Amino acid sequence: MIRLALPTGPLRRDTAAFLDAAGCGINEYSAGSRALRFEMPGGAGFARVFREKDIPAQVALGNYDLGICSSHWVEELAQRFPQFGVLSLSDLGYGRSSLWLATRDHAAEESVRIASEYPNLADAVARRARLPRYRIYPVWGAADAYPPEDADLALVAAVDGSTIERDGLTPVAEVLRGSAILIGNRASLASRDLSPLLERILRAGSAALRAELRAPSLSLRTVERPRQARLRLALPDGHAQSHTFAVLQAAGIAIDGYDDELAVRRPRIAFDGVDVKVIRPQDMPQQVAIGNFDVAITGRDWLFDHLVQFPSSPVEEVLDLRRSRYGLAAIVKDVPADSVAGALAYWQRTRPGKPVRIASEYPNIADHFARERHAGRYSVIPIAGASEGFVPDDAEILIEGIDTGSSVRANKLTVLERFFESTNCLIANKRRPEGPLRAVYDGFVERLHAAVQEPVAAGGS
Amino acid sequence: MRARDGIHFVRGPSPFGPGFFDLPEDTVTTDAGAASRVRGMQDLLPAEMDRVRSVEAAFAGACRAWGYREVRTPVIEPLHLFTAAGTLSPKTLDSVYSFLDWDGWSGERVVLRPDSTIPVARLYAEHYAPGDTARLFYRQNVFRFTDDGSSREEWQCGVELVGDTGPAGDVEIVLLAREIVTKLGLGTPAIRVSHAGMVRTVLAAASLDAVEQSAAYDRLLDGDITVVDEIESRLPSLNAPLRLLFDVEGAGGQYLANVRAALLSAIPALATPLDELGFVVEALEAAGVAPIVQAVLARSFEYYSGLVFKIHADGERIVSGGRYDGLLELIGGTRVPASGFALYVTPTSRLLASAPANGVTRTVDVAPTARTADTIAAAHTLAQELRAHGLSVRLTNADASTEPLVLCEPSRGMRLRLGGRERPVESTTELLAALERAP
Repeated sequence: MIRLALPTGPLRRDTAAFLDAAGCGINEYSAGSRALRFEMPGGAGFARVFREKDIPAQVALGNYDLGICSSHWVEELAQRFPQFGVLSLSDLGYGRSSLWLATRDHAAEESVRIASEYPNLADAVARRARLPRYRIYPVWGAADAYPPEDADLALVAAVDGSTIERDGLTPVAEVLRGSAILIGNRASLASRDLSPLLERILRAGSAALRAELRAPSLSLRTVERPRQARLRLALPDGHAQSHTFAVLQAAGIAIDGYDDELAVRRPRIAFDGVDVKVIRPQDMPQQVAIGNFDVAITGRDWLFDHLVQFPSSPVEEVLDLRRSRYGLAAIVKDVPADSVAGALAYWQRTRPGKPVRIASEYPNIADHFARERHAGRYSVIPIAGASEGFVPDDAEILIEGIDTGSSVRANKLTVLERFFESTNCLIANKRRPEGPLRAVYDGFVERLHAAVQEPVAAGGS
Repeated sequence: MRARDGIHFVRGPSPFGPGFFDLPEDTVTTDAGAASRVRGMQDLLPAEMDRVRSVEAAFAGACRAWGYREVRTPVIEPLHLFTAAGTLSPKTLDSVYSFLDWDGWSGERVVLRPDSTIPVARLYAEHYAPGDTARLFYRQNVFRFTDDGSSREEWQCGVELVGDTGPAGDVEIVLLAREIVTKLGLGTPAIRVSHAGMVRTVLAAASLDAVEQSAAYDRLLDGDITVVDEIESRLPSLNAPLRLLFDVEGAGGQYLANVRAALLSAIPALATPLDELGFVVEALEAAGVAPIVQAVLARSFEYYSGLVFKIHADGERIVSGGRYDGLLELIGGTRVPASGFALYVTPTSRLLASAPANGVTRTVDVAPTARTADTIAAAHTLAQELRAHGLSVRLTNADASTEPLVLCEPSRGMRLRLGGRERPVESTTELLAALERAP
């Protein structure tokens, strides 16, 4: 029984084509089925679909024997855990890209700020560049949007330098080359017969050489970046976008380049004195804490996740915007218990001495939850998505946002405890803007405040 | 499953968190199951702790006698102290324990100190007037990730002599280190000396850039002597083999004279490091020390700027140190010359045959003969009297005691059990006298 981890997202189409060509295609995966688990032809095993970023960890943990993902994510994990139990087996010949350090103005503050979805690699690059002082902003996405105001450099993946230039950045160093690769769990390779699948994939790929992280030679002017006398507002992309657009509409604030479907990184807002940037909602609390933004619209869940990681952070909720409503819950599958305490007792009996694995897109909340519930020995598995499939095979508990519960029922999951209610909200630094900016801030908050006094229309929550 | 020093390596899943993916097949644990320590961390049991304390006591006693004062720095320091170029090498930085503190939303990391010299330099910059001479010593741990089964926590006894003491300061720290090693009874230590400028000067003369110099230096440290031939090929004016410098352990001043004669005409910049090292060697020889001169000594520390030295005992490196004149400036302070060394506690303590139990030479057990309040109180009163006379006294049950044992009961007085015989004792004075005579 071979356990294979396959990517969803940008690599999926090429991965499906590669497996088809190698003679080990999985029809449902190739057809784009929304299911998360597929049986392999001939009863050879099963495949499970993950966000690409999660695959190296799942293979390293031994939950899966083999996996396919970008080598960048393997290197990202290897930087932090040099001995993690994964072997790179084959370069599959597609999904080629490089990690680039990019800038907008070849300048940096004394403590160089680097934004990246690859924080461990960014940290290693900073060390190799011998930066005397630096800060890494680990972001969930949109790292290219940060320079120059909110970061000096971005470490981003791109096929070539011209792709980066199209995003308005200048590549300064190519630090790591990569492609889609096949990886294997060392213990599985040592003790399980994976040959039926391994042979076909290896025949179609080529020997995987581990790319070396290059030491970049950086020449950056040291600058102090003065704050513009304008209020800086961060708006979210992704799922939260439509709810945010609805709030702005209700407040009568027009915005060009940001609606319920499409967003540019720097939309123009019809509110005097305000500049807008669109970034991921997960990253907003830290950005507001640092002072890169004065206000941001994000979810209370992400604010909570930030505050349990940094309890003295100067970020607070200013206004509940009452949309994008859902709860955070502890979810299990096939566990004969109706409470967290009961489930913990059950696992203590059935899995003595083993840690309770808690998978979540909210790693800090999951950690906080486990401590508060006296979970004993536990491990938090940070995940990037495709979460419903994690329990019970790859985790005991899933900490997840739930809305109506339809997805929970469809996947035959059980909600043990709904412990946090989230809506979208306006957040700000406790140290409010001063001088002329204060009037802009007060005016903006007042407009949103007036808007949320109105009843939220059906479908808006 | 294989045993090593009472520890078993068992196959099984590893816990999540830092170290989650380290050797997922082998998780170091004990038979205690979940009650096991983190891989790479060590428990010190009483006998080992006694030896550690002996090392620390000898070290601290010598330091105080030489006019040094003890300091302690925080376990957690800002990462940027160690990332400044010229402090720790990138390879060493790859193994530090760095993380975001609870108030680390700015993105700047903190670190479990991987080294103590840099924190003490920071302490000096923060608390002393620039240029003040400070003689400081410390006893503290450092943390570095290792993947070869060795300890990730290392205890060090260190000395830092900050201030413009010149080469005399170098001589002082070498002689202090030697005195400590000698006091510990570790025989005649082998003292190796070098100068950080020697290798740097040769590599720079060969026109290697910073990255190439670093790579060549690493190869030299790893014993790859073929790199010397490559360097030689880039120095056509050489009329003597570089192996004289890199492949020979020299005997003090005579060797240095040969190096000077052979290499100075082709690499004139070697004069400064050779002069500085020559002064120290001459002074040490005059003080009765015969140092071995070696071109390459320091590993992973880029901050050394002058003398570098190591002391080995029984083939084990137990001391290393040197001069670091630029470090304070690198970490943001004013440039103040300094030198220092660290004594590695664990390898040193293992060389000690035995050590008195926490400095206590005489022990005695006191056992109340009944579980009544007045009997137990009487036993405690007696124990307190004995402790006041410098004895280490345990209150135990008579059945679980070792001799000498004092049985204590208010109604019957005291009885001393010694040499398998038991006899009454009339007073504390008589008891102390009997214990004094005991073998």
